[in-house]
Amino acid sequence: MDFYFGLAQIIGVHTLIGLSAYIVLLTGQVSLAQAGFFAVGAYVAGMLTVLAGWAILPALAASSLLGALVAGAVGFPALRVKGLMLVIATLAFGEAVRLFFFNFDYQVAKGGVKLGPLGGEGFRQIRYFPENGWTTMDVMLFIWIFVVLVMAILWWFDRSRYGAVLRAVGEDELAAQSVGLNLTAVKVSAMTIGGAIAGLGGGIYAHYTTHIEHASFGILLATFALAYPILGGLGSVFGTVVAAIFVQGFLIEGLRFLGDWRNLLFGALIVLAMNVRPKGFLDAPTLQWIRRLFGGKSGAA
Amino acid sequence: MALLELKNVSRRFGGVRAVDGLDLAIEPGQIFGLIGPNGSGKSTTVNLISGLFPLTSGSIVFQNEDLDKLPTHLRLQTGIARTFQNIRLFGQLTVWQNLWVAQNSPADRAKRGFFSRWLGGQSGVREEISQLLEFSGLAHRQDELAANLAFGEQRRLELARALATRPKLVLLDEPAAGMNTEEISQLRERILKIRAQGTTVLLVEHVMELVMGVTDRIAVLNFGQKIAEGSPVEIQADAAVRKAYLGGDA
Amino acid sequence: MLDLLQSTSDGILFGATYALIGIGFTLVFGVMHKLNLSYAAASVGGAYCGLLVLKVFAGAPPLAVFFCAFLAGGLLGYVVYLACFHFIPISNPLATLMATVGMLLLIDEVIVHQTDGMPLNYPAMFDDVMLRAGEFTLRGDLLMVFVVSILCMAGLLALLYRTRLGLATRAVSQQTVAAQLCGIRVGQVNAMTFVVTGLLGGIAGAMIGASVGTLSPLLTTPLTVKGLIVTVIGGLGSIPGAIIAGLLVGGFESVLQQYRGVTERDLYVMLLLFVFLVFRPGGLFAPKGGRD
Repeated sequence: MDFYFGLAQIIGVHTLIGLSAYIVLLTGQVSLAQAGFFAVGAYVAGMLTVLAGWAILPALAASSLLGALVAGAVGFPALRVKGLMLVIATLAFGEAVRLFFFNFDYQVAKGGVKLGPLGGEGFRQIRYFPENGWTTMDVMLFIWIFVVLVMAILWWFDRSRYGAVLRAVGEDELAAQSVGLNLTAVKVSAMTIGGAIAGLGGGIYAHYTTHIEHASFGILLATFALAYPILGGLGSVFGTVVAAIFVQGFLIEGLRFLGDWRNLLFGALIVLAMNVRPKGFLDAPTLQWIRRLFGGKSGAA
Repeated sequence: MALLELKNVSRRFGGVRAVDGLDLAIEPGQIFGLIGPNGSGKSTTVNLISGLFPLTSGSIVFQNEDLDKLPTHLRLQTGIARTFQNIRLFGQLTVWQNLWVAQNSPADRAKRGFFSRWLGGQSGVREEISQLLEFSGLAHRQDELAANLAFGEQRRLELARALATRPKLVLLDEPAAGMNTEEISQLRERILKIRAQGTTVLLVEHVMELVMGVTDRIAVLNFGQKIAEGSPVEIQADAAVRKAYLGGDA
Repeated sequence: MLDLLQSTSDGILFGATYALIGIGFTLVFGVMHKLNLSYAAASVGGAYCGLLVLKVFAGAPPLAVFFCAFLAGGLLGYVVYLACFHFIPISNPLATLMATVGMLLLIDEVIVHQTDGMPLNYPAMFDDVMLRAGEFTLRGDLLMVFVVSILCMAGLLALLYRTRLGLATRAVSQQTVAAQLCGIRVGQVNAMTFVVTGLLGGIAGAMIGASVGTLSPLLTTPLTVKGLIVTVIGGLGSIPGAIIAGLLVGGFESVLQQYRGVTERDLYVMLLLFVFLVFRPGGLFAPKGGRD
């Protein structure tokens, strides 16, 4: 049973990073930097609980806040850069963050043992959960409470004017400006919120794996983050969850018997999915169809 | 006092003078027409007023305020709205959402707080949007994705969305393109209703049937310059206009 | 001072390989207005394929390896085109982007699989040759890398400006629809663009292997990022820009490594990118009338 709880933990955290990319994608910005914000959250939360003795909730609040601040800071120069250039810029930023942590040493002696991040070695012994008697199931529930919370918030956004505004900006910036929308405010706000979600996810990640290192926050993670909303479709938050469950659950665990070939399959799956269904599973027309099936209501798509 | 004034406005793209020393004054409550052959600078003028391009020289004054420093989205919040020649709807949003997104005017801000305007549900704006839907005959299509609308419906939505920002001046960029006589007649009625509600209209158009039938005053552009200005009757009789645009002496 | 000069010149010579990678990215962008994120990985993949020659003919000369890498790169380029660009509708840039990312991961994994993740030795030429001018040295192998790269660039420019294919390619990059209406088969042009850049990439990968002495799957990520940086600094779509930027980045990186060590070096290269994006997003030579 522990195995399934562990899997659920992974799916939960991946859903969070997927959601962080989702909200940014709505505004038409393709960001490969979410892994970077995630890394920031991971190291910050880890250092707060291990080195400063904070409890988990305040630490996660801080990691989320830091993620938001860094993302906000990136959001502004990102505005100067359009389309594919933004992809490159965010890719470079994500790599820069990873390299930063590769070089980052901050160790403090605690009870005779040196704890804290140590460059390439990473950050070991983030043992808040075990030290406080959390079981695997406890951690899993903890993670999923946050996932459901974030999903609920984003779902609410989608039903509100803010969600429609995000999508309007994503679809046609010129028209959006022409109805009085402030592109800067919209895009930076989305990036910031995405950063907050990623920071939260990272903080949680650090604690359930207990050992983080720079290599975990590279291009593969950045790709996962983007892959979930793209594969799942941008029509709704549920697309991202479904994609995360599918990829992590079915593909990686279900095909465990394929051994090392799993990672290979991930790349091939993406190529295949993009050829067969370029708009993802739950795109706007599909969602409309689903809604009609359940006796659609007026309003938010 | 004129609502909108263009004073010696010029816009160059490299060597091309798209708009050259244009003077225009539009009074509140007018339906003002802007006509001219292709390439005469009509669309560029609309783009200059809405703030898409900066001016090369001259100034644009709206309600006594120089628009020069104002970025596009703020101009649109001071009361200028526009439609696009090639319709630019938010295709993946529903009709309702297209109108909702545009609820940006100072009147909206006064009526509702920040939280309610951005994160509130639909009920708060149901009244305003229903009015717009009624006006453009789209109430029965409010949940349809804009991309799925028929061409005529899209044009009506484009217009409704411009009106959703509660503008004092609305710039219509060739709204009649591709319409048949029946639709043009309906459009004419709508434009008159817009004026009746207190909004001033600048109509850029090729379709003479519409322009001559609905405007109070017309300015004619050719090669970026104004070659004539007057009432529809005067313009139709003007020799220079006939030569450049309406069809010579035949 | 001499050290500075030495590391700069070494860096510039090596930077020619970055220039090739940058050209690959920029050419695909210029012609199809799309980013092929798997390009650097495919280049490394091509270089690995070059080693297959040694498996079959144990004593084969380095030139054979390089040539095999060249061809393999071209083949891989075509495969990437089919997998990521041929079937996916043009109007969906996100899908093609994602597909190339998938391809990047796929190629990476295949390399790791086939080599068990161990770095492999790569043949070099003229590595025992050193041209000296007092204390200053020009390494023979780096010089060869430089010369080969320059020859490839010259070949590319000749292709683009002196052949019908090149003319068609330039036409498609400027006005795709009009080019189609003139009877140019855009699909073919696009496919050929991928093959040509693939050929260049294969050589670039081989040259990197030759100058470093080994090939490792860990190469693909930093090469991707650096290649993109070169493309951006040079201006998306500009070949001369990519060439100059490649040399620049090579030199810059080498100097940084000299003074700050390998681990910090890459961080500074990223920062260089940011500086450019903020102050000069068009790059050094943004192409005139670029379609964006």
